[in-house]
Amino acid sequence: MTSKGEETDLIIVGAGPAGLSAANKAAEYGLRVTVIDEFPEPGGRMLGQFHEESGHWWVGKQIADELIAEAGRRGVRIRCGVSVYGMLKVDDRFEVSTSIGALFAPRVLLATGAAEIPMPVQGWTLPGVMSIGAAQVMANVNFVKPGRRGLIVGINVLAMAIARELSVSGVSLAGIVLPPAGPLAGAAAKPKDNLELLMGLSHLAPSPILRMGSRIARSCNLAGWIANFFPRKGIRMWDIPLQLRTAAVSINGNERVESVTLAQVDAKGEILDGSQWEEPVDFVALAGGLYPLAELASVAGCPFIYTPELGGHLPLHSEQMRTPVEGLYVAGNITGVESALVAMSQGRLAAASIGVDADAIGSGGDRIVAEAMEEVGRTRAAALIQFQPGIAEARRGIYRLWQETIEVGV
Amino acid sequence: MKPPLILICRCEEVSMEQLETAYQSGSCTSRQLKMKTRATMGACQGRVCRRLVEAWLRAQDPHASLDAELLSCRPPIRPVSFGQLARGES
Repeated sequence: MTSKGEETDLIIVGAGPAGLSAANKAAEYGLRVTVIDEFPEPGGRMLGQFHEESGHWWVGKQIADELIAEAGRRGVRIRCGVSVYGMLKVDDRFEVSTSIGALFAPRVLLATGAAEIPMPVQGWTLPGVMSIGAAQVMANVNFVKPGRRGLIVGINVLAMAIARELSVSGVSLAGIVLPPAGPLAGAAAKPKDNLELLMGLSHLAPSPILRMGSRIARSCNLAGWIANFFPRKGIRMWDIPLQLRTAAVSINGNERVESVTLAQVDAKGEILDGSQWEEPVDFVALAGGLYPLAELASVAGCPFIYTPELGGHLPLHSEQMRTPVEGLYVAGNITGVESALVAMSQGRLAAASIGVDADAIGSGGDRIVAEAMEEVGRTRAAALIQFQPGIAEARRGIYRLWQETIEVGV
Repeated sequence: MKPPLILICRCEEVSMEQLETAYQSGSCTSRQLKMKTRATMGACQGRVCRRLVEAWLRAQDPHASLDAELLSCRPPIRPVSFGQLARGES
């Protein structure tokens, strides 16, 4: 049972879009690759993702199945249900501590993805309250309805995308509402800020009001005005009431969720007197957004930078996906929250850099890396889902910092 | 009426009120708040509440440092049994 002393060329932590894409590419270059993931099956968040894109459905599970099949053909070892609890560099190789023992490799790629930011509301510890991602996994991966009728608290890209998935899966939603105003929610509780966010998403919007309205509003800078006049009852988006003027006040119930107290708010997110009512629901999904999950990079001694556009604290890395710790690489949402397609191209880029560093590619390696970098740029530019505005600029800032500090040897 | 209790750190059961009290008594960095209240020090090692503690602090003091070193991660970053630790020894 114990895997003491198991040695390989490359350990990849995370079997999602970035990790699997990198594994296949690195194996193609002739490296022995082991992929580790905490979840019982490989695929990462792709397992539960699907969305409509120019007339056809993008189904993450299919993409994951293709990547897993390719990994099988290429001899990549995938070990699921295994947690990594630490890592240490001893001489020129890493010792990766896992729940099934230590693994050793001269190179490690962290493709750990992102985690959810909670959105606390009074009563958020009651059974029946879950993160929006948990609702997604229940419905789309385990095929279990999270409840009979639910409410989503928090308006963001993730909430909208998963609300759509839940609705398609036949889960009844009472609506998507704002979190309560306060020190935890910040701008997320303000109708005006949310409207600006939605304008950035208007190409996804099925509602002509949002699509047309946002175009007009953007050109006239009318977000504040619209926030004031946004219909009190909300508008229906994919049959789900999107309530930009309603906030959750508390989640109520004795043993589990029985209802949510809601209230009307003004354009600043302040509750209007006497506007409270109780909405009967049996589950609540909290949507606070995503942040890069980078604990292992921290343990490995990688320096961090704070970049709000990319989800917060992230390990410093180069455009080629190297970190300042020699032999340690990153790819996917650990480098900033973006779509699965971007993560996949980042995985292939990381594999190219690893292939060059391990002398596995031979001549022409630099060209392969350059092409992989261009592919990341193209995928990013074409991405349908942009989690935050300003991603490309924020990334340029990180690569500039890398050049100014690491490359010149500060 | 007492303000409602909102838990920030579920593992260590630290409420927003306790952060407030700690902040008033002089814990004014995220690290000091952690030391004083045990927020981010539970089984999940701050994976759930770290961002909340930082957001809350920024709301009190917009200039508060969010340096990653203040709430750094230390192994083991996942719950681990003594048996696993013993097997993993190199």
